Amino acid sequence: MSTYVYGIARGSHPELPEQTTGVGNPPMPVRALRVGELAALVSDAPEDLRPKRRDLLAHQTVLSEAGAVGAVLPMRFGSLSSDDESVRTVLAEREKHYLERLDALDNKVEYNVKATHDEEAVLHQVLAEDAELRALNEANRAAGGGTYEQKLRLGERVVAAVQQREKRDGELVRQALEAAAGAVSPGPESSGWLANVSFLVDRDRTADFVEAVDALRKEHPHLVLQVNGPLPPYSFVE
Amino acid sequence: MTVVPAQQGGGGGGTSGLYDVLELVLDRGLVIDAFVRVSLVGIEILKIDIRVVVASVDTYLRFAEACNRLDLETGANKSPGLPEIVGEVTESGARGKSKGALSGAAETISDAFQQARSGGDGQSESKPRARRTTTSRRKEEQE
Repeated sequence: MSTYVYGIARGSHPELPEQTTGVGNPPMPVRALRVGELAALVSDAPEDLRPKRRDLLAHQTVLSEAGAVGAVLPMRFGSLSSDDESVRTVLAEREKHYLERLDALDNKVEYNVKATHDEEAVLHQVLAEDAELRALNEANRAAGGGTYEQKLRLGERVVAAVQQREKRDGELVRQALEAAAGAVSPGPESSGWLANVSFLVDRDRTADFVEAVDALRKEHPHLVLQVNGPLPPYSFVE
Repeated sequence: MTVVPAQQGGGGGGTSGLYDVLELVLDRGLVIDAFVRVSLVGIEILKIDIRVVVASVDTYLRFAEACNRLDLETGANKSPGLPEIVGEVTESGARGKSKGALSGAAETISDAFQQARSGGDGQSESKPRARRTTTSRRKEEQE
């Protein structure tokens, strides 16, 4: 039976509560494999492991709970080793590297921030900034909405203005929040947000970070900000 | 110390859910060559909306119509940016918004004023369409 690996911690990491369970149905008990100064948090792997909601959540929960009492390097979901012995071998080989990463992430959590525009608010803004757009819009209105060509003409320019603003606001979000964070990592691409950024935040400074988000929200109500955290530092392990 | 499940720990009025951090669980995190990864084939919850504005005729028409429908009167309270209205709006908050986003950024950092958590919820009445779709889809997934 193969071994599912959740994360890597120090050997001195506090024991997990006995009932801690992970992936699988029924959920497999989570245990620590200690080798040298490290410990891998593992469980037996279910035969037919797939990225199901329950299993993804189990992975996340094990890491959150273990991470709350000491630094843990979170593995990507679905990491399988052929057996416990192979996990020990990997840990022994790269002990120094993992210990360094654990030091770097000690007492740190990840916050992921995603931003979109409130469409109505951003349209107000682009019209406010451009007299020509306002004139086009008024002309269309006066013409009962405008012809197909008139709509295209206005719409194309409005879209260009909104896209420009998306770019600007993406940078704005990052700049406004990085001061409250220790490190910044762009989120996976292709997710279609004007900003999708992860921040590494000191556990003692999470209130500052949340405050910075609130301030940003208040100052720029056309931004819709979605904050997730504290999370295991997925984006900062490498 | 209380252990707060991360997917519920969003501060500052943040909405949270597995869906919102899926990409991190699946695309980030430590990878070790000696281990194999479970196949992600068939994962359906990975579908991600394209929410940024895409240049296309459909979008042009939609935005032209949205501009046409814009209520410039009531909108002024939410986003006091129209030059002809700025002079009349005296509430705090109008200041930064009537400027460009970039000049507003510096103020955002230096101001750092407190905002009650519930303050952020006031915006939910006028969320864009895409956002509502996400919320309802997220609920479906959690069922």
